This record gives sequence, structure tokens and C-alpha cells, in this order.
Amino acid sequence: MMVNSFSQFESPVFLTIPLIQLALILPWAFYPSPSPRWLSNRTLTLQNWFIGRFAKQLLASSTPKVHLWATLLVSLMLYIISLNLLGMLPYTFTPTTQLSMNMGLAVPLWLATVLVGFRNQPTLSLAHLLPEGTPTLLVPVLIIIETISLLIRRFALGVRLTANLTAGHLLIQLIATATLAFMSIMPANATLTSILLLLLTLLEIAVAMIQAYVFVLLLSLYLQENS
Amino acid sequence: MPQLNPAPWFYILIFSWLVFILIIPHKVVAHTYPNPPTSKTTESPKTESWSWPW
Repeated sequence: MMVNSFSQFESPVFLTIPLIQLALILPWAFYPSPSPRWLSNRTLTLQNWFIGRFAKQLLASSTPKVHLWATLLVSLMLYIISLNLLGMLPYTFTPTTQLSMNMGLAVPLWLATVLVGFRNQPTLSLAHLLPEGTPTLLVPVLIIIETISLLIRRFALGVRLTANLTAGHLLIQLIATATLAFMSIMPANATLTSILLLLLTLLEIAVAMIQAYVFVLLLSLYLQENS
Repeated sequence: MPQLNPAPWFYILIFSWLVFILIIPHKVVAHTYPNPPTSKTTESPKTESWSWPW
């Protein structure tokens, strides 16, 4: 069987243990439980600062009803950003490249925001399907378009995260292979490709963080407009 | 694409949600934030003398 470039994304099983279990559980060893001390160590202080600032910034422009979702959104952000960043290390497996996991996160959470909106204020949620000030002729077309875009959101949310991370990992693997192949034949090209690899890795680290943020931000936006 | 392989889909879904629900909110909620510092007011507090038997 041909081993293609996508084989790095197969859910790995080692000695009948699915390694995705380890990839999902072990990152939380990096987050110690906060101690009741007033002044804690650097790790805890940094995490505390990050969580607090992120929660504040995410929920600053929303109503108190949206603030009930703070725990969920902050833990989602922590989840995705930890998994993404740890996946940048060599030979690690990134669970967020799995479409199953991202769709499993995106679909229920998107559905929750829509249902919250429809339960609490059905008229207002339906009113979102038609932007203000559209010409009368365009009204039926626009309602159809807006409904489709509402329904597409869950797939877009999941697939965006999957595709970005998969593409990044794939590029890194391809360029690393090229660098290795060049090293014996043309060392000058190998140097250039290794510089490219370095820049790409930096980009991927940024993408990892940004994608996590975008996921949570969009979810909070869907929530805001629906609550 | 191996991500489209339906075999471990349900398993990955369940496991990732279990981790998301059981482990992470516990760690997030455990972080507490002290009150922000308030500026000093100009009124001086009333201090009555007390006599504690030291």
C-alpha cells in the first residue's frame, strides 16, 4: 500500500492503544491546578493572566446573558489552542486535524447557539435572516441565501479548523522532505528550503493560535446575535 | 484522506467531548481573580481604641 503524504493524519494506534487518547489527555498535565496561595508560580500566574484577559476581551462587548457561556468558550479556546500548539512539535499528533473531532465540536455548539436564540426570542432570530434595507425584489432570494448561510455555518466552523491545520502540517512535511532530499545533492538549495521551513513553522504557530481564536470568536458572535 | 475514514469517528467524537467536559472546565474555573485595587478615599477611617487583653 502506498504511503502518501496524508498518512500522518491517520489516527495512530500503537500496541492496540489508540494514541489519540494520549494526545487528548496528556496536554492537561501542562495546566496545574491553581493553589490557594496568593502568589503562585510563574506558570500558574501566566495561565491565570491569559484566561482572565481572554475572557474579558471575548465577553466585553456582549450582554450578561452571553456571559453565562464564559466557562464553555474559555475552555474551548484553551482546548483548541493547546492541541494546536502542541501539534507543532515534531512527531506529535494533532487531534484537531481530525474532521471528526472538529465537526463534533462545531455542530453541537453551533446548534446550541441557534436553539438558544430560537427558544428565547424566536422572532428576533428569524429576523436575522433578512438584513435591513434590502430592496423588496431581493427579499425572497436573500432569505434563501441567509438560511443557507446559517445552515452552512456549522460545517464551515469545523472544516475551517481542520483544513487550516491539515494544510499547515502537510506543507511542513513536504518542505522538510524536500530539504532532506536536497541536503546531499545541492546544499545551497537545502539551505534555502530550510529557511523556508523555518518561516513556515513560525507561520504555522501563528495559524494555530489564530484558528483557535477564530473558532471561539465566531461561536461567541453567533451566540451574541442569537441571544 | 484518512480523516474521512469513518471507523474511529464516533470514538474520537466521544473521547474529545469527554475530555472537553470533564477535565478542562475544572481547571479553568479553579483560577480565581482578586478584586481590582480601589483608589484610596480621602475620608479617614474612624478608629476607636480598643482594649484587648494581649
